[in-house]
Amino acid sequence: MLKVKSGDLNRMGLLFERYHRELFGFLYHMSSHADASEDMVQTVFYRMLKYRHTFTGEGEFRTWMYHLARNVLIDSEKQNRRSAQQYDVQAYAERIGGGPLADESLHKEQEMALLQEALGRLSADHREVLVMSRYQELTYNEIARILDTTEGAIKVRVHRAMNELKKIYLNSEYER
Amino acid sequence: MNTNDKPISCDVLISHLPGWLTDDLSTAERAAIEGHLANCPACQQELATSRQLWQQMGTVPTPQPGPQVRTQFYAMLDEFEAEEKEARSGTLLGQSGALRWIRDRFSPKLIMRLAYSALLLGVGVLVGYWAQRQRTPEVAYQQRVDTLTAQVQEMREMMMLSLLENPSATERLRAVSYTKDIDDTDSQVIDALLMTLNNDPNVNVRLVTLEALADKAQDARVREGLVQSLTRQESPLVQVALADVMVKLQEKRSLKSLRQLLKQPGTNELVKTKLEKTIRQLS
Repeated sequence: MLKVKSGDLNRMGLLFERYHRELFGFLYHMSSHADASEDMVQTVFYRMLKYRHTFTGEGEFRTWMYHLARNVLIDSEKQNRRSAQQYDVQAYAERIGGGPLADESLHKEQEMALLQEALGRLSADHREVLVMSRYQELTYNEIARILDTTEGAIKVRVHRAMNELKKIYLNSEYER
Repeated sequence: MNTNDKPISCDVLISHLPGWLTDDLSTAERAAIEGHLANCPACQQELATSRQLWQQMGTVPTPQPGPQVRTQFYAMLDEFEAEEKEARSGTLLGQSGALRWIRDRFSPKLIMRLAYSALLLGVGVLVGYWAQRQRTPEVAYQQRVDTLTAQVQEMREMMMLSLLENPSATERLRAVSYTKDIDDTDSQVIDALLMTLNNDPNVNVRLVTLEALADKAQDARVREGLVQSLTRQESPLVQVALADVMVKLQEKRSLKSLRQLLKQPGTNELVKTKLEKTIRQLS
């Protein structure tokens, strides 16, 4: 990235190849929207080019990438606040319900959809730490650096997030 | 959980939960946790549910970004590089900041959309202009009116022809009056009218028909039909009216028929006087 910063823009392609899948995964789990996430991937890389002078080289590139990604997510949430795009678990359950699935796999699919919905209903703070540690496989230390806090604070947040998720998920399961 | 007889240990254990989930623990921490778990079914339960949920989270699939993400990225990169170069040479040329300001505020996507809208608008204007040139509104309007008029005429003719067959004299009178509205009477209508003039049982109908035919006397067929009709009429009223029409038209060919009618034995005395007068006027 430092090479990119000093003007070698072709190096950006390398970074794209290495990180765009990871970035997409993060944006997808945060927004539950594949199309929007693809657009956001584009925006993040565009901002990397545009604001490359803000990359100090002290932190890791990945940390910087997540910084930018979080800002993009906040921007898009502002835009979508009116048209709340929630994962429609009902439609999903109906869709898989119609298929000739074995009972067991049907059950699993439904559980998965419910879990996904529960994740979507978590507060952004809680959702973020869970997505980062579970799906992005970032260590608590790395997450702490991205969020500019201590590892201990992240662990507390993960703990609270798990409790919240448990509550939402088990309630939704009970409601069925 | 805090009602457990070892509250502090339970709290400590729970605080290790995040590390335990990601397997991010020191050996000492792990040993302490295992020691506690052996005697605390509540914490066992707690950790088991958490782990189960954690593992279930792993089954939620992460889709792959579509291939267009890559193409779009490289397109964006190219564009960005070009812009950079331009901006650099732009500053050398003393380019104003306005252009860059515009470029910063309009993403490539937005520019594409704007360009597309402008293109559509342009096409619309061109098509409109072309259509106007092709056919000015007044001409198109006139054409439409002409077509409609022609259709109405046709309908009138048809209605008239069928009404003439009607047994009711009133209806037949109405049919004849329709012919006044038909401008270019075709032979079918003229034939029908002459037929009525010669054969209709009702005198009134015949008189009205005669009137209608007199209006169309500029047609040679009508004049000839009228002349021939003279000898066929039996009603004095129609004979007199016909004679009047002949005078009006200055139809000299009718002299022969008029004289013939004069000599006919059944002709009314009053009519004879009229006929003599007519012959004098024509010759």
